[in-house]
Formats: sequence, C-alpha cells, structure tokens
Amino acid sequence: MLIAAYAIGARDAFVYVRAEYPLAIVRLEKALADARKAGILGQSVLGSGFACDIRIKAGAGAFVCGEETALIESLEGSRGMPRLKPPFPAEKGYLNKPSNINNVETFANVAWIILNGGAKFAAMGTENSKGTKVFALTGKIRRGGLVEIPMGLTLREVIFGIGGGIRDGKRFKAVQMGGPSGGCIPESLLDTRIDYKELGATGAIMGSGGMVVMDETTCMVNMAKFFLDFTARESCGKCVHCRIGTRRLHEILTRITEGRGKEGDVELLEELCRGIKDGALCGLGQTAPNPVLTTIRYFRDEYDAHICERRCPAGECAALRKFWIDPAKCKGCGACARKCPVKAISGEPRSPYAIDSAKCIGCGSCEGACKFGAVSRV
Amino acid sequence: METFPLPASIGRVCPHPCERKCRRGKVESPISIAALKAFAADETRRRGEFAAAPAIAEPALAGKRVSIVGGGPAGLTCAYQLARRGAKVKVYDQMPEMGGMLRYGIPEYRLPKAVLKAETDLIASMGVEFVNGFKIGRDAKLADLRRECDALVVANGAWRSSPMRIPGEDLEGVLGGIDFLREKPRLDGRTVAVVGGGNTAMDACRTAVRLGAKAVYVVYRRTRAEMPAEEIEIVEAEEEGVSFKFLRNPVEIAAADGRVAAMKLQVMKLGEPDEKGRRRPVPVEGEFEELKLDTVIMAIGQKNDPAGFEQLVATDRGTIAADSAYRAAFKDEAPGLAPVFACGDAVNRGAGIAIQAIAQAKETAESIAAHFAGRAFESGLGTISARDPERIDFSVYEKKPRETAAVRPAAERRADFGEVSKGLTAEQAQAEASRCLKCGCHDYQDCKLIRYAKALKTDVLRLRGEFHPAELETKLVSIERNQRKCIACNLCVRVCEEQAKKGLIGLVGRGFTTVIRPEFRDPAAVAGCAECRLCVDACPTGALRLLAK
Repeated sequence: MLIAAYAIGARDAFVYVRAEYPLAIVRLEKALADARKAGILGQSVLGSGFACDIRIKAGAGAFVCGEETALIESLEGSRGMPRLKPPFPAEKGYLNKPSNINNVETFANVAWIILNGGAKFAAMGTENSKGTKVFALTGKIRRGGLVEIPMGLTLREVIFGIGGGIRDGKRFKAVQMGGPSGGCIPESLLDTRIDYKELGATGAIMGSGGMVVMDETTCMVNMAKFFLDFTARESCGKCVHCRIGTRRLHEILTRITEGRGKEGDVELLEELCRGIKDGALCGLGQTAPNPVLTTIRYFRDEYDAHICERRCPAGECAALRKFWIDPAKCKGCGACARKCPVKAISGEPRSPYAIDSAKCIGCGSCEGACKFGAVSRV
Repeated sequence: METFPLPASIGRVCPHPCERKCRRGKVESPISIAALKAFAADETRRRGEFAAAPAIAEPALAGKRVSIVGGGPAGLTCAYQLARRGAKVKVYDQMPEMGGMLRYGIPEYRLPKAVLKAETDLIASMGVEFVNGFKIGRDAKLADLRRECDALVVANGAWRSSPMRIPGEDLEGVLGGIDFLREKPRLDGRTVAVVGGGNTAMDACRTAVRLGAKAVYVVYRRTRAEMPAEEIEIVEAEEEGVSFKFLRNPVEIAAADGRVAAMKLQVMKLGEPDEKGRRRPVPVEGEFEELKLDTVIMAIGQKNDPAGFEQLVATDRGTIAADSAYRAAFKDEAPGLAPVFACGDAVNRGAGIAIQAIAQAKETAESIAAHFAGRAFESGLGTISARDPERIDFSVYEKKPRETAAVRPAAERRADFGEVSKGLTAEQAQAEASRCLKCGCHDYQDCKLIRYAKALKTDVLRLRGEFHPAELETKLVSIERNQRKCIACNLCVRVCEEQAKKGLIGLVGRGFTTVIRPEFRDPAAVAGCAECRLCVDACPTGALRLLAK
C-alpha cells in the first residue's frame, strides 16, 4: 500500500475491514502501530520526507461495500451504495479526489513482484492470468482451507489433488466458484484451467476466490436459492433491477423448491436474470444472477424434475421429500414416531411402524431418529 | 371544473353510475357523489366564485379555430376544454338556446333553466362564440363549416324518438318522448300512457302530471325490477300519482274520429334471461288488454338524425362512426379540409347518459390538441390492477347514514315545475363528504409509473410477488407519506439533500425492505422541514402528498 501511495503521491491510505472480523482488526492495528514505531509510516516515511499514514475503517458489514464506489461512500460516512460510473475512482474517488483502490491480495502481489521481479511472477500461470491466486476451498471436501496456487492448475487438480476429493465417499457434483455471485461448474468441466478467461467462459468468475465443493446430495436449485437469498438480502436497494429482481428470483426459486413451480418458470428466471445483468448499477447486481444462470445451464434437468415431476433428484428439498420405513429393518421402537413433528408416523410397539405420506412434511427427523437404518428416502 | 363545465347541471340530472362503484357502498351506502357535485357548484356560484379551471398551457391551441356542431353536454364540454387551451371556438346549435338535451330534454323540475344558463354563460364568457338557430343541411352544409375552421367537431346528439313500429303510431295524439318534453303541450283533462321504462319515460310521465293530465300510465313490458330508470325517479313518479302497468306491451293504437282513443296491450311474462342477465319478456298467448286513453307518449329510445350529415361514414346502427381518437371520416374525402371529430349521443353506440357524452367530449378536445401538436392521441390512463373490493375489510369503518337532499311534498310539486329536490344543506354536504374513504390515488393523473408502464407496454402483473412490507402511512410535518405507493426511487431523499440542502430523510433498511424515513427513524429529525414541497413535486407516484392545512 505504501508503495502504491508513494507511486501516486497519496498521503492518506485506508484499510477497509468488516467490523465482524475483530481478530483481523486487532492484528492490523498492531501491524500499523509497529510500522509507525519503526518509522515506516508517518510524517517522514523512513526519513525520506514522504508523509503517509494508513488508517483502519471498520465497515458495518454490507456485502455491497466490497464494490469500490460503495466502499468509498462508506468511507466517507455515507450509506454504502454504489455510485454511477464514470467517473471512476481513479478520476473522482474518496472525497472526489483521484483514488487508487485495490484488494489486499493485489497489494500483496505487488510487494512480491518488486522483491522477486516481474519475470519470475509472469513465469507462473497462463497466457491470460499470471502469478498465483488464493482460494478458500470449502464444502464437501476432505481437506478444506485457504490455498494459494499458481494460475493454470485445473479445478480437478485443486479439488481432488490438494483438497483430497469428496468427503464420505460421495460423488462430486459441482463447484461454486467466486463467492455468492459466482457460478457453478459441473463435473464435465473439471478440467477447466484456473484462468480468468477460461473460468469466465463457463459462466463462473474468479471473484473472491471462493471454491465451494458440492456432492450428489446437494440440490442445485436449492443451492441457487441459497445464494439468491444472500444477494437479495445484501442488495443495497439503490437500483430497481437488483432490489426487486433478486427478490423475484428468490421467490420463484422458493416456489420451485417447494413443489409449486410452474411451466415457464425456468424461462422466466432466465429473462429476469438477463434483465438484472443488463440493468443493475454495480457488480453485485450484475453478477447476482450467475448462480441461477449456471445451474440452469448445467443442471436444467434438476429444475425440470422439480417443476414437472415435483421431485428433488438430490433429495434435499424438504417439501419434495418423502420417507418410508422398511418393515424388514424396523424393530418397532417408536423413536421415529416420537420425533415426528406432525404425527405422521403410527404403529404398535414391537411391530413395524408406517409413515402417512399425506401428513409427512419431509423434514427428515425420523431418518435421524432411527438407530436401525430402517427409514430411507423414497 | 377541471373535467367539465356543467357540474351544477350534471350533479342534478346524472344517474351517477359512479355511485355504484363507490367503495363506501361496501360499508353501508355510497357517497352521494352527484348531490355533492351539485352542492359544490351551487355553493361556489352563491359565493360568486364560479369560474373556469386554469388555462392549459401545453399544448396550447392559440390561433386555432374549432367549430362545433351541437351545443349540448358534449359540444359545450368540448368547447370549454378547447377554450382552456386558447382555441377560438364557435358552437352551432339548431335550438334558440344552448344546453341541448339538458335544456330541452330534462324537465325544469329536475334542472332549473337558470342553473344551466349560469353554466353556459361561463363558457360564453371564455370567448366561445354561440350561434343558435343554426341547422346543418338547412343553413349550411357540413363541408362549408369545414372550410371556416381548423377542426370540426360533430356533437349533434340523438334528437329523434325511436318508433314502436305498431299500427296507429302515426295518429294524432301519439308523441315522441323527447318531442313531448321539448314542446310541453298542455294535457288538461287528458288520459296519457307513456310507453317505456327508462329515465325519459319517467321524465315524460311526471311532466304529463304537471301539464294537467287527468290520469297518467306508464306501460312497460317487463316488471318494475327490470326498469332501467333510476329507483328514485320511479318512487317520485308513484308519489305524484303515476300508475304503472307492468308486463304490458302495446301492439296497436286504435282511433276514433281520427285521433287516439285506445291502446291494445299484449300481456307479457318474464322468460329466460338474455345475454345481459335481464329476463326477456315473452307474450302470453292470446291475452290482451285495452287501455282507454287519448294521448300516447313513446319513450322507448332515441336516435340521431342523419339529415345533413350524410357525408360522414356511419355505423350499421345509423350513428356516426368515430375511431378511438374520435375522428370521423368523410365518404368522399377532399384534401385540404379541416379534420372532423365526433362525440356524444350521435356517435358509435348511440344515445347514452350525459356524463358519457361529456367524457367523450373531454377526450375529443384532448385528441384535437394532440392532433395539432402532431402527437398520437391516447385515451385515458386506465388502471393496471385494481384491488378486488370483495377482499378489502370494510368492517373497520364506522357506519354513518348517507345524506340525501330533502324533496318537496308530492302534492305540492306535482302542480308546478319548481325543482323537486331542495339540494343538500351545508351541514349535510359536510357530513356526506366526511364519509368518503379517500380510496382513490390523489396522484393518479400525474403518476409517472403508470404512464411509463403504459408507454412501454409492461405487463406489470406478470412478475407479481411479495409486496413492499412498508407501513401504511406516516406523517411528516405537513407531508403525508404512503409507503405502500413508494417505489424507493430515492428522488425525495436526493431532492431534500441536494436542492433543499436539508437532508432530513434517508433510506432505512437494505434492499427490498428499504423504506424512506427521517434519519434514525427519529421524528424530531424532521423538525427542520421548511415545507418547501420539493419532495412532493419530485415523487413520481403518489406516495407523498401535502396535507391540507
């Protein structure tokens, strides 16, 4: 940051951290205090006469403040809402002054490049994407966590190599790349290289570097609903497309996962997604439809199963799940009947119990209650 | 006065279909909209404040000459709306005075001529030129009028009584309903039958009573329940001594000494409902009745007179064909002549009630303005969706009785043509007005949202979903905010901050649930509001409104 400030002649620098990450703030504060003590920050940086200080701004936690102009608004003490671009922050940013705004990861790379040379950085990665990238590998993966990898590895190498594959011997289904507004990549595209251009072609994005791995028990419609729930909540409300559009997407997805989907819903979703992508003011809205669009693109059959057959292939959507008790395995203990919140299970002790499917709400409590594995999904 | 120049007249005579739609009717009974209109008009006239609504600047028609054929409700309304736009208007009428059917069809006891005169005088005072005693075909050809103006409006009404098509209807003593109402011949000692069940029939029978008739019958082929006339008119006619003969249909009028002596009536019964749900009368085979009388008034409908207007393209009903922009077409169109517009009873579906003709006339004036401005005319905004009144809970409203105007006693009023209704008193009018649920949107005419939705042909309901969860109303000094109409466009917030330099209101909450509120939801935060109204003006829907002081 200091190097960037020196390069453009900036006196003031900020680190914007969410207030929900107190540990990060404590550590950053210590680092800044240490730097000041060492004369790296202050009125005369390293005795050069160049003055620069870095302050911490604790954000109130709005997702949209990751968008550069919304972040600037928040820094200025205003409500975190994006500004119309242009003017870009490089022309008019913080307090309408030219500003440079970058991700921590980018600044971190700058220091490394200066220390080791551009050629060495460029030696890593692909034609379009150089260097390394940090990913948060999570989900149904054996070994999750933060990983820094050179650009150009394939997704398969990261997930099955570094991550060790899927937990509990389940089958890989998809990976959500780039955070809540990223896209879903199916197994058939696992050999895609991690590269801005190649990832973009799949409909996903590099984004924040999120990499959520899903197995066969994840319903892709429900997954899209989950992410839209997040983006709809985090929409700042400034532009109509994002404010109302994400809400409507979420409503339609909810309808589908609850077995109330209608013919034409998928087309309606696609049309809305296009409208939001074209009309939204900032990156949040422009990318919010990605989970919906990519799941429709790669898992259209799951949407159709929900809408036409009222069936959730992954068995995740509660409203579409039904359970039955295998009489051969049931010992008649009655544990499931006691757990059932809607009293859908009946029977006599020591003889097999049965589920009334008309009453069953698919919550799955019985499955968890059974010690003999007699309850299973239909 | 914004809509039409005849509120005192219409308030008295209108069968007020609006009251059937009034939502107060779901509480107990609708607001007396017509009576209130008459009261407001009379009261402003009494105070000497009766005046035209402000001129319309955009689009202005200064220097444009418009001639109007017909000085009835349609012609006068059109003249008024065009004069407000600065046009030079000339109204031609065949009768000695303006007012059309309001003057020559509506009896004095319902609409005193002086009331109507005050309203036509106002139109004249705006510079509209009245030419009376002028009949197209006799005094000039329609084509001649087209040469003297930039646009011509035909609003000549429906002045011919429909015939019954039965033997004997040409006899002396058989009159058309509207002809009778216009000429008002004395009927001393006569026995009169009025045929028909509409408002014209009621006007005719009650007028016949006042003209000295010994006995007055109303002959109608269905029962009282199916009568199209207003209930109050039927009741008041009964009070005045009119006898009703229901389920009787005239089949022949018999003569003695060359004039009417009796009418043969077919006895009817009600059969299957027709497409409108009204039960169709069917004859009872072989059952007849004879009514001794000397005068028959046919009030079964009225038609337009095409004489002088033959060059205009007609509908298969014989009325003038006008398109959705009220343009009429000449059969042999010559280039360079003024365009012809047509509205009112003479057009398309034919005779209706005055307020329908007035509504058409207002739109005709807008269409003419659009024509001169080189724009396409679009009829009213309409609605995008309406809440089903059946699903609104009206039980929260306290029931209050509907105020109705007092009427003179029947014995007194049947002897003269003095006004039957005494009109609402000031106390009654206030009580009645306070019953209003204010269910309409005050900003409907200026709503940008509905205009955009219409212009862009948006199917708003296709993506209907959860509603904005905002509270119904909050008061903000003198400004009322209806959050349910708010689209969170943020214009009021911006205008308050950037133009008024106050920044008193802001957005609270995120995304879909965003509402506009004083900073920190603190009512004290708006104490600095100077009531500059910039936010009210900026609001594109009707979410903000200035409260009356």
